[in-house]
Parts: sequence; structure tokens; C-alpha cells
Amino acid sequence: MTETDFLSLTPLLIITIAPVVIMLIISIYRKYEIIFGFSLVSLLTAFVSLFIVQPLLPHRIDHLMVFDLYSLFFLGIIFFSAFLIMLLSHDYFKHLEGFREEYFIILFTATLGASLLAVANHFIIFFLGFELLSISLYILIAFQKKKDYPLEAGIKYLILASVSSAFLLFGMALIYTALGTMGFQGIADAISKMGVASPILVIGFGMMMVGIGFKLALAPFHMWTSDVYQGAPAPVSGYIATVSKGGVMAVFIRFFFDIKGFSNQDFFIVISAIAIFSMFVGNLLAIRQQNLKRLLGYSSIANMGYLIIILLIGNNDGARAAIFYMLSYFVTVIGAFGVISLLSTKNREAEKIEDFKGLFWKRPWIAIVLTLSLLSLAGIPLTAGFIAKFYVIFEGVKSGLMLLVFSMIINSVIGLYYYIRVIAVMFSTGEETTKLPSLSIIGNVALTMISISILILGVYPGWLIDMIMKLVAL
Amino acid sequence: MNIFFYIAATVAITTTILAISRRNAIHALLNLILSLLSISVVLYLLDAQFIAALEVIIYAGAIMVLFIFVTMILNIGLENKQEKKWYNPRMWFVAAFFAGILFLDLILAVKNAQIQPVAAQVIHSKQVGISMFTTYLLAVEIAAVLLMAGIIGAFHLGSQEKKVMHRFLEKK
Repeated sequence: MTETDFLSLTPLLIITIAPVVIMLIISIYRKYEIIFGFSLVSLLTAFVSLFIVQPLLPHRIDHLMVFDLYSLFFLGIIFFSAFLIMLLSHDYFKHLEGFREEYFIILFTATLGASLLAVANHFIIFFLGFELLSISLYILIAFQKKKDYPLEAGIKYLILASVSSAFLLFGMALIYTALGTMGFQGIADAISKMGVASPILVIGFGMMMVGIGFKLALAPFHMWTSDVYQGAPAPVSGYIATVSKGGVMAVFIRFFFDIKGFSNQDFFIVISAIAIFSMFVGNLLAIRQQNLKRLLGYSSIANMGYLIIILLIGNNDGARAAIFYMLSYFVTVIGAFGVISLLSTKNREAEKIEDFKGLFWKRPWIAIVLTLSLLSLAGIPLTAGFIAKFYVIFEGVKSGLMLLVFSMIINSVIGLYYYIRVIAVMFSTGEETTKLPSLSIIGNVALTMISISILILGVYPGWLIDMIMKLVAL
Repeated sequence: MNIFFYIAATVAITTTILAISRRNAIHALLNLILSLLSISVVLYLLDAQFIAALEVIIYAGAIMVLFIFVTMILNIGLENKQEKKWYNPRMWFVAAFFAGILFLDLILAVKNAQIQPVAAQVIHSKQVGISMFTTYLLAVEIAAVLLMAGIIGAFHLGSQEKKVMHRFLEKK
């Protein structure tokens, strides 16, 4: 380990040290507000340190990790999403009985797992990051251990995620058997030298695809999504939809581009089938959904389908469109889950669509944020979702992936139906049924940040696209 | 050499199946220990003495014994009805069918592939230790964070509320 190694590790080191310090603070004086403030400051420091690290790039650490502009950009996305979710969790967990400060420790370890995936350049770091993320998520999902739904969701995620990790590990082992190396570069070199892929290698990649597909909730591996999204606390559902998927997506894009997966015909067919299947399954299952959390879960399946299509283009343009799409989806979906978590009270989760009846007349500000998020998910102009979808379809048409683009357009129309349905419920007038909790300053700040981001990405996305152009060159 | 491998492999497969299908938790755990021991024999035959020893010490020795003691102390070795229901063929047939396809696939792949033995030399614990503290030092550190997350989670999910009243005075 040299000095440069340590310096380039700074953002990850901050994320690693923060939970240890939180534990020490808890052992001295257990106070929710102090822990919350410290967590926010640490995440902000980690975010700022990304800019300090930037001049050292690109830097590799023993073939295990790679720090380049691409991984730094993903670290930025992960820290930003985690920051927003932390802001939204404040009100949600404030009233929880018993120990609740541990939530922030686990949130940090989960973020570390996702960040490791973003810098991974070797199967060992890939798998450790994957496991660190999974183990932290079991705990986050079942955090309210007194309630039934969170426990059920936690057990479900525990069993299914263990199976998917086993698949991933077995796939890695088979690839190692076939090629004798575990670094991404080594694998890429060995494959390009080999010519025809051996059957063991194909099965190995297939099994890895199962593990990755599970974490991204792509269609044949999507069974857990709706139950876990419903059972988990609302901020944690938002976390699963953004940070967890962002990390896995980062390592998937890097690995896929390193081994030039798109030039292999089998890989191409498998991924397009998964993409089309995900879009249709997600959207069709969401149509009749009466629970907003489950609805967002199903819509996340469809959105991940849109996202992996564009990787099949197989050049930097495709990766850039995918990353822009991901960023706008993350901001949007954090907005939706943020509204749910701010409207939830100690005993009741605001998750049924009828809970939102007449919300606009009671709480116009919250209703506007939710409307903005849903419109952005549906891809209406002036929001982030429109530009993202436009960008993806533009790149798809440019490289002639017509079948995929058409199924994406059909699905966008289906999606429009159920997003608009929720908006219509919010604007309908209804009798007062439930008492809404009051909004704290922290919640307000988070909602303002989210809605400004959605609008900026939708109205003036040029600077971000330029930035992605400059950063992402795989 | 070969005959030892086949004996150990057969024992491993049979005991693993038994570990899954026994409804008595203690029996299942004892079978699992046997399966781990026979896998360590297989590893030993492959000249991987270090990992074979680790398998015995950590899995069969520490973790499984802990499991058995906890199961015995908590007295949860009894069968339950829910589990019995899960054993009817309707529940596992489809999964077993797909797993069977995957298994056939693997057999074909192994048969058709020309695999050269990756490492013919014996790897000693010293080499493992050196690579753990040089090349893979970061991975070891990350594993430490992973264990920390696990411990905190176990503490949070397992911790009991402080009781104000004595448990005999509580209303049932």
C-alpha cells in the first residue's frame, strides 16, 4: 500500500470509519439527533473528498480496485442518493421505539458495499461488496422487528439473496476454472485469446447473470421485489431501489464492457430477452396494484428493463445514456418513496393508494412533489424522466435496436396509465379520513432538493450530459 | 487415491440430502457436520491442506457445534406442521425440474471441456497467509467490516426490550 493508494481510498475510508465512530458515540451517549447529524456530515465529507481525489486518477490498487472518473462518478451518485435517503429517514425513524441509532451504522455499511461494487476490478472485491450490501440490507429491511411485514420481507430477502449470492459465487468459480484468473482485465484478455467460448465459461457467465439479475430485479428473478418493497420501511425501499441497484449496475456495466459481452451473440439474445420480459412483467403487474409501494416495486422492474437495453448498443454512447437514465430514475424514485415515508406515522404506513385521496387539497406541497415524481416516472416533458427516456430511445434508434425500442414505447404507454391513476386519486376530493403528520424542516429540505433536481434534469440537462460525456469513457 | 475420493464424495452428497430433508433439526445438523467433514477430505485429496483444515476447524468445529448447542438449549428440535406441509412434491417438483436441467447442463459442460489442472502444486498455509496480508489485504479488511455489520444486525434484531415489570406480573 503506497501513499497514493491511501489517498485515492479516502472516500471509502471515510465511509468505513464513520460507522465505527458512530458505535463509539452510541456507547458514550445515545442520542438520535447527534448520530443523525454526524452521519450527514460524514456522508457530505465523503462526497467532497471525491473532488479532492480526482487529480490522482486513474489509479489502480493491486488489480483489486480501480479508481477512474467512471467509478468516481458512480461513487458520487451513490453518496448523493444515500444522503437524500438519510434526510428522509430522520422523521420516519424518529418515533421508533427501542434502539434506532443502529440504523445509521447499517446504512453506512450498506453504502460501503455499494461503493465497493463501483470500484471493483476483481471478483473478490465484487463478491465482498455484494455480500456486504446484502447483509446490511437484511438488517435494514427487518429493522422494525416488532411488525409482521418487515420481518416477513427480511426473511424473504435473506433466503433469496443468499441463493442469488450462491449462484454468483458458483459462476465466478466456474469462470475461474475455465480461465484461471479473477481480475476483470485478466478475464477480458483470456477471453479475447480464446476465440470460441468453452461451455463451462458460458454456464459461469449465466450463473453470474442470475446473481446480478436478482439484485437488479430483472424479470425472471423479480419475485422478491414487490413483497420486499412493501414490507421494508419506506426509506429502505427507496434505498434498495437506488443505492443497491446503482452499485450493482456500476459493476455490471464495467464487467460487461471489459469482457465485450455485447459482441457475443448468445449474451446479446439473453440480455434482450431479459430486458423485454422485465418491461412487460413489471408494467402488466403494476396495472391493478392498489399499494403504492408495490406499484413502485413493479415499476422498478420495468425501469431496469429499459436500462439494460441500452447497454446492448455496446459503445460509450449507450453507457452514457444508461447512466443518465439511472441518475434521473434514482432522483425520481427517492422522491416517491420520500413522500411515502414522510406521510407515514408511527403505527401506519401510508402505502395504500386510497391514503393519498385528496392529498392535493390537504397538503399541496407534498402532493406536488409526488406528482412531479410520478410524471417523471411516466416520462412527461419538463421532468427528468422525459429527457432520460428520450436519450435512451435516441441512442437505441441510432444503433438500430428497433425491436427493443418499440417494446419500450409500448411499455411507456402502459406505464402512463397507472402513474396517472395515482395522480388522479390525489387530486380527487374526498372526505377527511386520516390525520396527516406534520412535516419537519429536514423533510422539507429533502423534498425541495429532490423536486429541484427533477426539474433541473428535465429542463436544463445539458451540463449533466456534458459531464457524463467527459467522465464516462470505458 | 481415487477410491477415497469416491467414498468421501458419496458421503458428502448423501449427508447433504439428509441434512435438507430431515425434519428434526438436530439430525439435520449432525448430517451437515458429516457432510462438511467429508468435503474437507475431498479438499485434502486435492492437496489443499490449508483449506481442508479450515473447513474442519471453522465450519465443522466452531460454527456447527455452536448451532447444535443453541438448538439444544432452545429446544427447537421438534418437528412442526408447517414444515411437513412443505415436503409434498407439489412444492418442490418444479424447482427440482429446473435444477435438474442445470445439473445436466453442468455435466455436459464438464464432459466437453478440456480443463487443465489449474494448480498442480501444494499450497501451504504460509503462502495463503502472505497473500492475505499483501495482495488481498484490502479484501480482508472489507471482510472485517462485513462481520461488523453482521454483529450489529444480530444485536439489533436479537436485543430484548428492558422490562419494567417482572415477567410473572405481566398480563398474558
